[in-house]
Amino acid sequence: MRRALGALPTLVLLVGAAYCLLPVAWVVVASTKSGGELFSTSTFSPGTAALANLGDLSSYRDGLFWRWMANSALYAGVGALLSAALSGLTGYALAKFAFRGRSLVFNALIAGVLVPSVVLAVPQYLLISEVGLADTHLSVLVPSVLSPYGIYLARIYAAAAVPDDVVEAARTDGAGEGRILWSVAAPMMVPGLVTVFLFQFVAIWNNFLLPFIMLGDDGKFPVTLGLYTMLNQGNTTPALYTLAIVGSLVSVLPLIALFLTLQRYWRVDLLSGAVKA
Amino acid sequence: MPSTTSRRRRAGAATPYLFVAPAVVLFLLVLALPIAYTVYLSLFRTEVSGLGLGRGSRREVFAGLGNYARTLTDSEMGAGALRVLGYGALLVPTMLLLALVFALLLDEDRVRARGFSRIAIFLPYAVPGVIATLLWGFLYLPSTSPFAQLLDELSLPEVDLLSPTGIYFALANIAVWGGVGYNTIVLHTALRSIPRDLYEAARIDGCSAWQVALRIKVPLVAPALVLTTLFSVVATLQVFAEPTTLAPLTNSLSRTWSPLMKVYQDAFARGDVHSAAAASVVIAAVMFVLSSGLLRITRSRAFGGER
Amino acid sequence: MRLDIARKAVAAGLGLALLAGCGSSGGQDPEGPTELSFWAWAPNIEKVVDRWNASHPDRKVVMSKQAQGDDLVTKLLTSAKAGSGPDLAQVEFQALPTLVSNDVLADVSADAAAVEGEFPEGVWQQVTLGGDGVYAIPQDSGPMMFYYRADLFQQYGLTVPTTWDEYARTARTLRSRAPDRFLGTFSSNDPGWFAGLAQQAGGSWWSIDGDTWRVSIDDAATRKVAAYWSGLVAEGAVDKTPMYTPEWNKALNDGTQIGWVSAVWAPGVLAGNAGGTLGRWAMAPLPQWDAASPRTGNWGGSTTAVMSASTKRKAAAEFAIWLNTDPEAVAALVTDSGVYPAATKAQTGSALEQPPAFFPAQEDFYPTAQKIASTAASFTWGPNVNVAYTAYKNAFGAAITAGTDLVPALSEVQRATIDDMRASGFKVG
Repeated sequence: MRRALGALPTLVLLVGAAYCLLPVAWVVVASTKSGGELFSTSTFSPGTAALANLGDLSSYRDGLFWRWMANSALYAGVGALLSAALSGLTGYALAKFAFRGRSLVFNALIAGVLVPSVVLAVPQYLLISEVGLADTHLSVLVPSVLSPYGIYLARIYAAAAVPDDVVEAARTDGAGEGRILWSVAAPMMVPGLVTVFLFQFVAIWNNFLLPFIMLGDDGKFPVTLGLYTMLNQGNTTPALYTLAIVGSLVSVLPLIALFLTLQRYWRVDLLSGAVKA
Repeated sequence: MPSTTSRRRRAGAATPYLFVAPAVVLFLLVLALPIAYTVYLSLFRTEVSGLGLGRGSRREVFAGLGNYARTLTDSEMGAGALRVLGYGALLVPTMLLLALVFALLLDEDRVRARGFSRIAIFLPYAVPGVIATLLWGFLYLPSTSPFAQLLDELSLPEVDLLSPTGIYFALANIAVWGGVGYNTIVLHTALRSIPRDLYEAARIDGCSAWQVALRIKVPLVAPALVLTTLFSVVATLQVFAEPTTLAPLTNSLSRTWSPLMKVYQDAFARGDVHSAAAASVVIAAVMFVLSSGLLRITRSRAFGGER
Repeated sequence: MRLDIARKAVAAGLGLALLAGCGSSGGQDPEGPTELSFWAWAPNIEKVVDRWNASHPDRKVVMSKQAQGDDLVTKLLTSAKAGSGPDLAQVEFQALPTLVSNDVLADVSADAAAVEGEFPEGVWQQVTLGGDGVYAIPQDSGPMMFYYRADLFQQYGLTVPTTWDEYARTARTLRSRAPDRFLGTFSSNDPGWFAGLAQQAGGSWWSIDGDTWRVSIDDAATRKVAAYWSGLVAEGAVDKTPMYTPEWNKALNDGTQIGWVSAVWAPGVLAGNAGGTLGRWAMAPLPQWDAASPRTGNWGGSTTAVMSASTKRKAAAEFAIWLNTDPEAVAALVTDSGVYPAATKAQTGSALEQPPAFFPAQEDFYPTAQKIASTAASFTWGPNVNVAYTAYKNAFGAAITAGTDLVPALSEVQRATIDDMRASGFKVG
């Protein structure tokens, strides 16, 4: 029985992998097609205009696409870094100290996950405008730094990865709390913090609604928003399908690269509640 | 070993408060304040005088619970909620079942091409919802879709995924595709932390791989499964980007298909922040009730040895 | 205003150092070199703006192309509430009442009254909203006409329709001779298209009676149009897929769609979406309901407007007027942005001597367009066009999917529009 089913599991897995790769494969093939070829050739036959498309993308409005990529890197990189730091700080405090209000703080923070961003968009925008920060890089960065999910992950990880006795020993040695956090706890929490960083990086990179509301100047757009405007040019101008397709492909590559390099830090076992100290 | 009381004293009572202060401040600014403002906005409405075409022809007027009454009796909101529930019922079990199957397969040593499959399955996570919908849009539309071409060549009947019933599958598929990778990794990592000797013991007792999977592995990853279900449900109820991006491609999606789309329409297309605010509060309240119910059930399992 | 007080309390409570806020006082422009921000979407309009910047370095215009059409109106509304919008924006005609009623647009009649004569009356009426104020300078208009594949018409022996009856006959004939091609499509996604056709038939959706609005989206003329297309869709004489989708693009490319009821800016779209069919299309006036008195409607068309929150109104108004009346600027708009200018002189000007690149064989393209444009019906837009448009997309989309008659869908749009106006407090007769 076992041998007869031998190939089936592998097959099922490969079918699943193929399903997940299908649109990606489509985008790779479609990126090689010129505008005319996109709508006239069979879907998976390669086109001839790969480099031309890339050239067009780069020269679109004097390299605006690469500015968008840089913006995305800024928002996601800085935002995720700050978010990981904040989550680490908060998670450590929630995990290692039993203080009054701990449950309240934690529950309130987690409840933040439940509020849809569409709901918050206009009030956040109005409030940010009130302090004159609308249409600035900060207007996208500041709301992105707080990650309830990241704090949740950091708390679990801090609880599991930083033993109480180590902290206690450091205290006995006379170290201040800040010192303990920085020199003792933080190094132990690195894998968890990298997870939070990666998670928040993807979330910010892929975020569409927040920058859409906050930003007016399209030079500050992240790449998701930029691609959206390429497609929604209105009735009187043609949609820039080819550019959007090549742009989509290029915009996904950094994320893939990031994951492949940081793969071994991806400690998603935090979520499963199965972390062993 | 010092006693617990002296430990607390030495730790400094202010420390935890200092440490959580940045997050709390940010929470107040970015979440609490906007929410409070939303509630405030929901109690007003705009009134127009005359033709409404001059300066000062609009004023804000206190409306009490009028906006809420309108939201709760709005048939479009109710219809949207039902649609999203149907969509969720289709999406969540499918995605989690697939994730479980993939995770179990990735955990079997006999299965080949695991490294490649793991990366492939996780890839869609890197694609933003708007782009994913564009890509799948091309794959759904009959004239640009390879599937339609294939079905046509095999002389099989046409499957229209952009029809009123098909659209649920079309949207659910995009979400499954985007989310299965992340959930697979979560479950896979959970599986990896189960001690292998449990399986050995079972094998010695004569269990087949199937039975090991069903009777031992699945129950042991139940906590992780519950957590992923919770987060999937929350994400599903908030569906917005995919139907909004898909709507212009087909006749079957109204601009108010999901409740959040209605909120967006009210706030942005109609410029009526007040109804949008009231509707948002209602949606958030419903989600809060649902989620805290689920969270309560899972909390003891999720927090393991911490409390 | 209560909202203002609450907002100020919030700002104080935040206790953050204030960066430059927009304290607009209207009236006098500030002295010295300034920058004007301009939100627009017309293709390559930045090139036209560059010309202004070259000759007016002390009043540079900085462009941003973050959204188009309805999306841009949304952003203008939200940013106006927050006091952080641009100085100038490209606004479509139908959005003007919405923006004016939200006090987003400045009245530039002091500077603009001089150029009233440059534009046709029907067009000017749309920027004054029937009153004394001038809320925008007309930029381009979109008179509707009919485009068709001349080569395929010849291949299938079809005659170019001059009336809607003929259009229906031609559509049916095409279907019988080439079962996989269509003469056109009915798009539930493009309310502006339907509005233009309703205008041609004599429809008048909004009107003002004293200080009461009247809404008649389902008047007899519009019903006639809805019933006509309903019939064509029901018998399969025209397609029913939305325009501006990859599907539709493909259809234009491979000849599945051999005609397009569109407007004067169509060459740019065809060139971008169906470049491979260059030179095979031709343009003809829109089929008529009454051949003896030709009329057409407008689809799209935009203006340049100054925001009421702008602190540099005079400079902004000057730019807006320059952009749309200066011969060099308008010529650049035509050649770079491919728009059809609203200014009368420009319509017969030198920039329009050559036919558009996509229609090289049709020498008289622009003279014909000018004749057609002069028959464009005037129209009053209401304060909630966005709502009417969304209701159209929902109601007509549902009707097409269910295969039901379109006239009840029209009544649905009427009802939704009136309900929304009443809910906002407008007096609706």
